[in-house]
Amino acid sequence: MAGQAPSRRQLLQALACASLASGAPGFLRWSYAFAEADPKQTHRHAAPSAKPHIAHYTPRFFTAEEYRTVVQLAELILPRTPAGPAGNGARSAVPASEAGATDAGVAEFIDFMASREGALQTVFRQGLVWLDAASSPHTFFALAPAEQTSLLDRLAYKRNFRPEEHPGQEFFAIMRRYTVMGFYTSRIGLEALEYPGLRFYAESPSVPEDGSLERLGVGR
Amino acid sequence: MTPGEVYDVIVIGTGAGGGMVISTLCEAGLRVCALNASRELDPTKDFREHKMSYDLPFRGFGSPLRRAQSIGYMDSEYVSADVWEHDIAYSTAPGTKWTWPRCYAVGGKTNFWGRSSARMGDIDFKAASRDGIDVDWPVSYSEIAPFYNRVEQRIGVASTRQNRPSNPDGEYLPPISFRYLDYLLEAGARKAGVPYLPDRIAQLTRSLGSHPACHYCGNCTSGCDVGAFFSSPYFLLPEARASGHLTLKTNAVAREILVNDQGLASGVAYVDRHTHQEVDVFARAVVVAASCVSTAHIMLNSRSRHWPTGIANSSGQLGRNLCDHLYGTSARGYLPQLLGKPSFPDNVSNATVAWLPRWQNLDNPRQESFLRGYSFYPGGGCDDFPGYYDDIEGFGASYKAEIKRRYPTPVNFTVQAPTQRSENNFVDIDPEKKDIFGIPQVRVHFQWDENTLKMWEHSKQTAQHILEQAGGEYQGHGEPESPGYSLHETGTCRMGNDPLHFVTNRFGQAHDVANLFVADASVLLNCTDKTTTLSVLAFALRTSEYIVEQFKQGRFTTAEVKHA
Repeated sequence: MAGQAPSRRQLLQALACASLASGAPGFLRWSYAFAEADPKQTHRHAAPSAKPHIAHYTPRFFTAEEYRTVVQLAELILPRTPAGPAGNGARSAVPASEAGATDAGVAEFIDFMASREGALQTVFRQGLVWLDAASSPHTFFALAPAEQTSLLDRLAYKRNFRPEEHPGQEFFAIMRRYTVMGFYTSRIGLEALEYPGLRFYAESPSVPEDGSLERLGVGR
Repeated sequence: MTPGEVYDVIVIGTGAGGGMVISTLCEAGLRVCALNASRELDPTKDFREHKMSYDLPFRGFGSPLRRAQSIGYMDSEYVSADVWEHDIAYSTAPGTKWTWPRCYAVGGKTNFWGRSSARMGDIDFKAASRDGIDVDWPVSYSEIAPFYNRVEQRIGVASTRQNRPSNPDGEYLPPISFRYLDYLLEAGARKAGVPYLPDRIAQLTRSLGSHPACHYCGNCTSGCDVGAFFSSPYFLLPEARASGHLTLKTNAVAREILVNDQGLASGVAYVDRHTHQEVDVFARAVVVAASCVSTAHIMLNSRSRHWPTGIANSSGQLGRNLCDHLYGTSARGYLPQLLGKPSFPDNVSNATVAWLPRWQNLDNPRQESFLRGYSFYPGGGCDDFPGYYDDIEGFGASYKAEIKRRYPTPVNFTVQAPTQRSENNFVDIDPEKKDIFGIPQVRVHFQWDENTLKMWEHSKQTAQHILEQAGGEYQGHGEPESPGYSLHETGTCRMGNDPLHFVTNRFGQAHDVANLFVADASVLLNCTDKTTTLSVLAFALRTSEYIVEQFKQGRFTTAEVKHA
């Protein structure tokens, strides 16, 4: 049957299902990065996608304070590189290879997913509370960048793990998962990977005869 | 057709087997009524139609509701929610796990299948003569080879001639090209003494008749809206419709095969999916091709004075001998040679580009600790999601850079290991539960057998070895998928010469009921290291022509249409 190799779809679904139960409020139309299908275009391999940035996004689930923290966390996980001001609305000017989470609307993706799933809401809300508590007497958002990074260092690397910070580690893992999900399913994220499915191929693509294979130490 | 009239043949199911029968019979001028349990698909609405993740509200992950209901696999946000069956319930015996994605839409699973299409050979058909286990198939390779030829000419299979007697060569379109990862893994396989070859894929690398060549969008398992790989709706049903001899009844859930007062098949009773009304249709012959488990389900539910345990079940073998393929990731890892290399279109064919066809127990049937053998399908490379993201620690610029650096490198080996006939593996009718149509549910009993689990263990060691010989970094293995996952069930109506032990004869004709035929994977005696669809097509073609011949000889013309 189809997909003798583990299916991509299956992987995607497993990601979204991991550690979360279901429970969804009514449908809300997502205005960012959800291009309307054009029935006249039947083979839109490289059709333009994301709609123009909505400068003042109103979160569906998160409070404004929570949301700005989510934006910042996502950008810390997948920053614009080389480092520069992100989220200033200039996303169209950013080359994909440099794009960060904000350029790809990752926080909006997370907000949308959370708005539809009760279990996810709990995870994010409690996780953000934990993060602010760990940043006491400040909030995470108010910490200096170096302090933010050093706090995340404790949650992201096993060698730095502290047993009492287990809830923070778990939250960070989910935050990172959703950041990766949001970024690499966006147009600019797939472009950043140079995802080959964005192009059209008239024939089964072959390895070029340019010595690149031989340089790997193998022949045809 | 006016009420009370009698079709020549009713065919239950429109997938690979049913589609082939429908097409062949209609072409021969027989009037066919095809029953299909769900609706027709509209490729422009129901298929993925080149949607990218960012075209979908949930980016392909699906809404929470959709995820909760999904049977996994290809039942995703990319295809309409009802193309995979969710309404018709089935049971599993205590201790049985059965993952069973069913597509009851017209064309069945051929709409979304994996397209790997190797011929079986005498290493499979005469396995019992070599190792003494079970029985030989009642058909030799030389008998079935002409049917494989014709099927391949009709559907188009891309591969190469490989000169391995255990994998008979066919007539092939140019193969799908090897990728960097294939050349690297092939070198590792060569060192390990394992064959690494282009798979046989029913996907058009050249146009074939009116069918266009593949355009490598990589979305095959979400449906191909140009029909560039074999599916029944694109390759078999159009001719049948054009003949004017086909009546297709959709949303017709077959409940039982009706019999006349001699116990011969006289028609089929089905339930309309929408109205829940029962409808009877009549014919001179009936062909069941509802897919392995469902075919047994319908036949077991066809109880009458003549057939108290299910139609054509005097052998007691109806529903027994269920076999399946164990699937699992035997090894996964990455190829450091490809770190930081530019992206390469590794998966735009969405196909099993290569296979490692069975190499075990070929010269000596008892060389290994297990009997018979398995195959691998390698996979990996640049895909539409960096699924390896959790292998990397950290965050920030270095994390983002590492995701990109590793993008071309992931590889994995999926094993395809067949089970053999076992007393423990079968389907029967749930004595208590009925589905929403009031039809007693089918119940599955299935456990992996010891031989198959030995293959799994062997496959893990071998795959790791090949990966390491290729210079790869081994990162672990998966666990076997639950039974049913491969969708390669066989054996519930096995064909054989002895009516005491087999449900059908070598032509798929029921031993007990001369005008009842089976034309899907349920007649195949067991799974092998090869996939089943190509063989389903070849055997169904042979069965169809046998039916046509029987009609020409004047059989089935006098069957009384009267309820027993």
